[in-house]
Amino acid sequence: MAFLQVENIQKRFGNTQVLKDISFTMEKGEVLSMIGSSGSGKTTLLRCLNFLEKPDAGRILLGDQLLFDGAVAQTRKAAEIRKKRLHFGLVFQNFNLFPQYTALKNVMLAKELLAREQPDYKENKKQIHQRIEEEARHLLSQMGLSEKMNHYPHQLSGGQCQRVAIARALNLQPDILCFDEPTSALDPELTGEVLKVIRELADKNTTMIIVTHEMAFARDVASKVIFMDDGVICEMGTPEEVFVHPTQERTKQFLGNYAGSL
Amino acid sequence: MPLFEQIAEQMPIVFRSLNEGFLQTLKLFFVTLLGALPLGLLISFGSMSRFKPLKWLTRMFVGIIRGTPLMIQLLIFFYFPGLVLKQNIWGSGEAGRFAAASIAFIINYACYFSEIYRGGIQGIPVGQEEAGLVLGMKPGQIFFKVKLMQMVKRIVPPISNEIITLVKDTSLARIISLQEVIWAGQAFMKGSQGISGAIWPLFFTGVYYLVWNGVLSWGLGKLEKKLDYFR
Amino acid sequence: MKKMMVMLLALVLALGMCTVYAEDASDKQYVLDKGVLVVGITDFAPMDYKDADGNWIGFDADLANAFGEYLGVKVEFVEIDWDNKILELDAKAVDCIWNGMTLTDAVKAAMETSNPYMNNAQVVVVAADKAADYQTVESLKDLTFAVEAGSAGEAEVNALGLANNPVLAQADALMEVAAGTSDAAVIDALMAAAMVGEGTSYENLTYTIGLNSEEYGVGFRKGSDLAAELNAFLVAKYEDGTLMQIAETYKVQAAVIPQVAAE
Repeated sequence: MAFLQVENIQKRFGNTQVLKDISFTMEKGEVLSMIGSSGSGKTTLLRCLNFLEKPDAGRILLGDQLLFDGAVAQTRKAAEIRKKRLHFGLVFQNFNLFPQYTALKNVMLAKELLAREQPDYKENKKQIHQRIEEEARHLLSQMGLSEKMNHYPHQLSGGQCQRVAIARALNLQPDILCFDEPTSALDPELTGEVLKVIRELADKNTTMIIVTHEMAFARDVASKVIFMDDGVICEMGTPEEVFVHPTQERTKQFLGNYAGSL
Repeated sequence: MPLFEQIAEQMPIVFRSLNEGFLQTLKLFFVTLLGALPLGLLISFGSMSRFKPLKWLTRMFVGIIRGTPLMIQLLIFFYFPGLVLKQNIWGSGEAGRFAAASIAFIINYACYFSEIYRGGIQGIPVGQEEAGLVLGMKPGQIFFKVKLMQMVKRIVPPISNEIITLVKDTSLARIISLQEVIWAGQAFMKGSQGISGAIWPLFFTGVYYLVWNGVLSWGLGKLEKKLDYFR
Repeated sequence: MKKMMVMLLALVLALGMCTVYAEDASDKQYVLDKGVLVVGITDFAPMDYKDADGNWIGFDADLANAFGEYLGVKVEFVEIDWDNKILELDAKAVDCIWNGMTLTDAVKAAMETSNPYMNNAQVVVVAADKAADYQTVESLKDLTFAVEAGSAGEAEVNALGLANNPVLAQADALMEVAAGTSDAAVIDALMAAAMVGEGTSYENLTYTIGLNSEEYGVGFRKGSDLAAELNAFLVAKYEDGTLMQIAETYKVQAAVIPQVAAE
């Protein structure tokens, strides 16, 4: 059985059917790139996986655990969802760092709050906080931000902000880390430093789903590519299959727009 | 008697009265803030509620309070129970007048504050809430740990304006005969403690307001500066 | 919020029930039960004013204190806005108005009033250097008057068809004349005697003719049994000399109306 199984996901906003029966699977350690034009539904699909949108129908399974089933009311409850969404991390296009906290605190905050739910929190408060801080520092140095830990987001460049956001998501050790167009809000010269970090994560076999418009990057980093068009998966396969030998007319047309960069 | 000598002689009497009056002014000011700042937050939650009737009712209430003069509200709050319900719920004497004025001021200012809070909360990018959600935070944690500080930063300038206005608005309480500083100053125009027809005490009440507003502006400015560490 | 609305509604209902109960009880009993008589006043020498320690004294204040003692309750003085005196009584914010109040028809209609206890007149106040020109009612017709809104003075000026600016207090009317914003004012004779002329705050003003004579009384809530109680008290105090003694303290003995028991 595949690590992640997404089955027959449907999502409608008002009269627009944004996702029409989406199904795919992915394995642990795999990197999945999702490409497609704006409005094709790829961001909505990512948001469904993180439960920022509730699918109208369909199932999401991780390993042997059922995370969501449109037909089972229990899995639609807010409290249930809160625990289950921790299987996924999400890096936003606009970073969404918390402006009032330093880079370090941004990375630590969620984990500190979660630690309060541990039964031994009261006795070991100090050690727990120390450990959380150590881990956060370690992560930020990995992102090349050792010098910037005590800076506030407005003191950082866009690329640095996005790397903090990646560290923040990684700190909760999600099973699958999702990226929603992580470089779209960045100046071209800052894009590289973020892509480099993601590439390093891929080298360490981090399971990732990346929605991106960086075609060359999508091709090089992914083990699997999904091309979405108008709410359906138009083409799915290895980078070689999708980028070099696309079978669908729509895919060829879309990739034609990026002929120069590929 | 030369004017200045006369004023010098009247000063101790006048300032004792003005000080007493200003104490009432300050009391009303602080009680209003203490009540209205938290109540305003509660009202703002009501006006943003997903439960439509509550949202509707709250917004209507806020609309009525903001759309009518505080002076009318003071008169109604103080006289309505005794006149219509035949039961003066405020108790006798100055304490009762102070209680009625406090309630009217708290409700009035809470409504103004609630709109500022609402603007502050709704002005926070939706991405902040989403970031909190995907990091597994509970709604309460998202409010207190993520949104609250950003809201505070946004609302400090408009709230400061309201606070300065409140200082001056306290003088409206004289309509129900709360003896605040302007009442005390005006008493010497009408004649009180052997001094009448004197307008200079009234000028001095202005000085009290100026000084107090100066102190507040300074403090609130400092607070605003303190929140400059993030954007 | 919903809970709060319900609680508010419950409160209003509860108050409504109290209403029924409160209407039956006598006003005297109401005051005796709460143990305090709240007297509505303004700062109005020599009737009600503050001494150096901030205590209320004056002819009316001393008498009111004696009445409280007679009833066996505490007396509390509350400064009110004179315009709102009827409102204050009806809302039970005060229990009586005892402040050199002229017994006008409007007052008698809205309150339960005591017997008159002091004579007063409405007099014309003008600048001292022009006083000689204004010694008759006819001479007043080109003047603009400052009068206290709702006062007996305003009623007189209106009855004579004279131009006037209503102001908030009698003292404000004096200020108007002193500042030249009005030509003349009409105020109580007792007040004019205390505040106008040689050795007062308004040395350049003086008062000329009286427009009518009138009487002061104490006002209670309409239908109150305290008015009769006060009448009896006034007779007793007049007979034992206390009333005149207080009057002499404040130099108003000439204006006191003798109090005799009704047959």
